[in-house]
Amino acid sequence: MSFIDEDEALIAAALNGSAFAWEKLVKRYESKIYNHGLRLMGNSSDAMDLMQEVFLGVYRNLHRFRGDAKFSSWIFRIAHNKAVDLNRRKRILATGGSSDDEGPDLDRYPDEHGDEPESRMQEQQQNGQILSMLTQLPFDQRLIVELKIYQSQTFEEIAEMQDISVNTAKTRFYTALRKLKTVSEETHVLP
Amino acid sequence: MSCPKTEHILQEYFADDLAPLASEEIERHLAQCPICSAELNALLQTRDALAGWQDSQVPHWDRGMELFRREHQAPRTENSWFSSWQWLPTGASLAMLCVLLLNTSVTVSGSSVSIEFGDSDNADISANLADFQQQQQQELQSIIARFEERQDNNNIQLLQAVVAQTQQATADNLDRIYTYFEEQRQQDMETMRVSYQQLVDSDYATIQSLQDLAQFVSFQSNVQ
Ligand SMILES: [Zn+2]
Repeated sequence: MSFIDEDEALIAAALNGSAFAWEKLVKRYESKIYNHGLRLMGNSSDAMDLMQEVFLGVYRNLHRFRGDAKFSSWIFRIAHNKAVDLNRRKRILATGGSSDDEGPDLDRYPDEHGDEPESRMQEQQQNGQILSMLTQLPFDQRLIVELKIYQSQTFEEIAEMQDISVNTAKTRFYTALRKLKTVSEETHVLP
Repeated sequence: MSCPKTEHILQEYFADDLAPLASEEIERHLAQCPICSAELNALLQTRDALAGWQDSQVPHWDRGMELFRREHQAPRTENSWFSSWQWLPTGASLAMLCVLLLNTSVTVSGSSVSIEFGDSDNADISANLADFQQQQQQELQSIIARFEERQDNNNIQLLQAVVAQTQQATADNLDRIYTYFEEQRQQDMETMRVSYQQLVDSDYATIQSLQDLAQFVSFQSNVQ
C-alpha cells in the first residue's frame, strides 16, 4: 500500500485525536531528529531539548501542514530553525561570548555508561570522535556539514534554507571540510 | 608547496552538478597535480569518517503523549461507557473500505447486509480499484437505497462520497477517503454524544428516545 503516504494518514488521524497515530508519527522521526540535534548541539541534553521543542512545534502546527511538501522536509525545516534558535540562546547565555568554543560535552555523551554491548561502545566511540570534530566548527559551518553530509541536500537547497548564495554555501562547506581535515589530522597524531 | 588552483578545483569538485566541460577540467588538473589530488584524498577521507556516524538511541521520553492526551481525550473519560460505541461507525466505514479495496461481494438480504471477501490472495489493489466493477457499483447503489429507507443521512453522504471517489478510481484518493471516514466517525461520535447528553439532560428519559438510540446502534452493528 505504498501509494498511501503513511505520514499523511498518521497526521490526519492525529488531528482527529488519535494518540496512537501521534505516537507512531513521533516514533518514525524521533531518532532522526535526535541524532540531528546531537551532531548540531554536540551533547545529548541539548539534543533532547531540541528534539522536544521540534515535536512541540510539530504538534502545535500540525493543522497547518499541507501535503505540498513532504512531511520529512517540513519537520527538518522546523528542526533547522529550532537549532539556530537554540544555538543563539545558548550563546547569549554563555556570558555574551562570541566564540563557539563550548566543545563536546563528552561527560554527557554517551548518555548511559555501563555494560553496553561492544558494538554499542564502538558506535559511541565513533560518534564521540565525530562530535569532537564537529564541535570545532563554528555553528554555521556545522550546519552546512549537517545538511550536506547527513541530509544529502543540494547546495541550492542549503542556500535557500539559510538565505545565502549558492557560492557562499559551497565555500562554507569546503572551508568546513578543510578545517575538519586539520582537526582530525591533529587528533590522529596525538595518541 | 602549494597550487594556486586548489581552492577553486576542490570547491567545484564537491559541487552538486557540474557542466561536463568543468568536470573535465577538474579531472584533468587532478590527474596532473599531486598537490590538489593529495588534498582531495584527505578531504574525501574526512567526509567518509563523518559519514560513519551511527544513529544513537534516543533516551526515553514521553513523546508528548501527556500533552496530547490532555488536549484531546478529556471528554472521553467523562463518558467512559460511551467509548465502546465509538467504533461502530468506524466498523461500517472499514467494511466499505474493504468493498473498495478487495474483490468483495456485497449481498443484501432481508434486513441485513453481508459482505464476503472474494479471492484476494494476490489482489493487486490498485488494479482492483481500476476495474472496480459495474456490478459492485450497483450493489453499492442498492445499499444506498436501503440506507435511504432508514433515513440515515450521514451514511448516505459517506457512501455517495465513496462512490464518487471510486469512479475516478485513482489510488491517490484513498487517503482522502480515509480522512473522510475518520471525520465521519468523529461526527457520528458527536451525534451520539449529543443524543446521550440530551437523554441525560432531560428529566424524563422517554422510551421513544431510548428506542431511537438502540435502533441506531443495532443498525450500525448490522452493517458491521
Ligand atoms: Zn593543483
